[in-house]
Amino acid sequence: MGNIQSISYFLPELMVIATVVVALIADLVYSDRNSYKVGYLVIAGLVVASFTLWLSLPEETTPIFLNTIVVDPFSRIFKFVFLLATFIVVLMSMNSDELKGVRTGEYYTLMAAMVLGMSLMASSVDLIMVYLSIEIVSIISFILAGYLRAQVRSNEAALKYVIYGAFSSGLMLYGLSLLYGLTGTTKLFQLSGSISSLGPGSNLTLTVSTILMLAGFGYKVAIVPFHFWTPDVYEGAPTPVTAYLSVAPKAAGFALLIRFFNTLFGTGQPLNSPVWQAMEGVPWQDILMVLAAVTMTVGNLVAIQQKNIKRLLAYSSIAHAGYILMGVPVLSQEGVYAIVFYIIVYLFMQLGAFSLAIVVSNRYGTEIIEEYSGIGWKSPYLGFFMAVFMFSLTGIPPTAGFIGKMYLFAALINGGSQFYWLAIIGVLNSVISLYYYMRVVKVMYFQGGREKDLYVPGGMSAAIVLAMAIPSIYFGVRWSFLADWVNSSLKFFIAGF
Amino acid sequence: MTGSFFFYFFAAVTLTSALLVVLNRNAVYSAVLLVFCFFSLAVIFLLLEAYFLAILEILIYAGAIMVLFLFVIMLLSLGREKAQEHFRYLQRGLSLFLVIVFFLSVLIIFLSDSGILHQPHGTFTAGGVNALGEALFTKYLLPFEVASLLLLVALIGTVYLAKRKV
Repeated sequence: MGNIQSISYFLPELMVIATVVVALIADLVYSDRNSYKVGYLVIAGLVVASFTLWLSLPEETTPIFLNTIVVDPFSRIFKFVFLLATFIVVLMSMNSDELKGVRTGEYYTLMAAMVLGMSLMASSVDLIMVYLSIEIVSIISFILAGYLRAQVRSNEAALKYVIYGAFSSGLMLYGLSLLYGLTGTTKLFQLSGSISSLGPGSNLTLTVSTILMLAGFGYKVAIVPFHFWTPDVYEGAPTPVTAYLSVAPKAAGFALLIRFFNTLFGTGQPLNSPVWQAMEGVPWQDILMVLAAVTMTVGNLVAIQQKNIKRLLAYSSIAHAGYILMGVPVLSQEGVYAIVFYIIVYLFMQLGAFSLAIVVSNRYGTEIIEEYSGIGWKSPYLGFFMAVFMFSLTGIPPTAGFIGKMYLFAALINGGSQFYWLAIIGVLNSVISLYYYMRVVKVMYFQGGREKDLYVPGGMSAAIVLAMAIPSIYFGVRWSFLADWVNSSLKFFIAGF
Repeated sequence: MTGSFFFYFFAAVTLTSALLVVLNRNAVYSAVLLVFCFFSLAVIFLLLEAYFLAILEILIYAGAIMVLFLFVIMLLSLGREKAQEHFRYLQRGLSLFLVIVFFLSVLIIFLSDSGILHQPHGTFTAGGVNALGEALFTKYLLPFEVASLLLLVALIGTVYLAKRKV
């Protein structure tokens, strides 16, 4: 579709761009003390954008802007995820003591711009667009991680993030250029056609290029050989930013990963066939399976030793990236379904755990798990909901995390016998993770004094915790609404042009 | 024939200088070698008849970005560089070698009647400014506009992180 006609399909993104511009101008007007009010503007803008997205036709699948990006149900559901995550994190940031002392106008502006970057990541079908969208998200992440300029650890986080980021995006660019050199096109659909006609002689080049591109994507979702930045960045960044980085860019990375590999190495079958045929010769499925297994094992084993709650959640988010990655090589409708379902559930429980960590650090001034002792008695509200999020992250039955994991394992089992070993490793890992999640609950309830001051966090903080906890439990009992929505969103734009 | 000779020659120069950038211990030498690398890369662009890209490569990379690099190296004050004796001979030898090679290659171009300078290039215009502008504003309009957003956020971030008052 031509550039001018495409604009009507691009309305939600245009709303986000308008929000960025308005926020940027408003930030000039506000004084330092009032610059947090930009947050309200951003919230309003996100609501308008969500509304526009809601009004867009849900079944529309069409390439726009001369085939650089597509509009389809798959990208639509991810855009909702990004808008929701950003909305919650903006609210969390406004109630965090960490960000009280600094000017936050730019902070909220950048968050709005991040939504655009992530939406483009979920919908791009052109190598140039893929690269640009990843860079937008990366650069904003660097700035947000280093937002507390007066703190050394925040600066360190940003610097480490930049160095790893530059390196991995260099590797990815090399992979993309190999792909371009082999085929002479940057369009994903033409690429998939040219690759299948290349013949076995270029399989080695394709494999190398796949590994290099995985470095870029893997860096965004923090899978294991590319995860080294995660703990330091997550610990050093302001907590709301950590929460954001562990959910939203990760979801965007997976959206890109799914679309990229399914379009490139699938045979272009539409999603309604149960198991797609993978291309012969390039062992990308094996690579992804091994990466998934290594990622969750490393994430869980290292998480056991962590003393800081933010580091613990950082390693647990690596482990979760491993679980989610299990669904990618299955290459079936069920696999993608399980991934999208899990990402939505993960959003609620991860953001919930982080919002609680913020409340605890506002009130008790600590991020060390051992110092959480007795909080379960001092503040039953915090104790109970922390337990809920920890149960859900482990995947214990009456919570949403269990349903998410169940779908993932079911997809693996139904995918064929070559995936059984991965499912077994996944289950073993869930058992390992039980240990360190339960340790947090144990410290809160069974250590320290049992004085009761019945602390309940004020207004908005309590509301955010509650708003995250309700879906974490509700989707564990009745998930058919979410399941239907995810199911109806599993339509890629697939036809070639 | 001459074309492929030039390609292999400059490809070798690019690779060697890029390798030396990494292997060299002195940051200033690395930076200068990087300029070398960019220049020979620009020549490869020229051989591909992408004239505009070649100019951009020199203007932006060898010009602007390298100046930035050198500034950073200067500000970091990585200690005085030592002009080592044997390195000075190497430098002289290398520059002499390169001058001869350059002279010979120009000579070859002018003496050969392959018409490398006068070849009519027909309809091939991909490397020109026109073609680039047209591609940017039609085929790649969205990436072009998105790049502006990328620069905007980078700018906001830089201003925030670098301004004096916390």
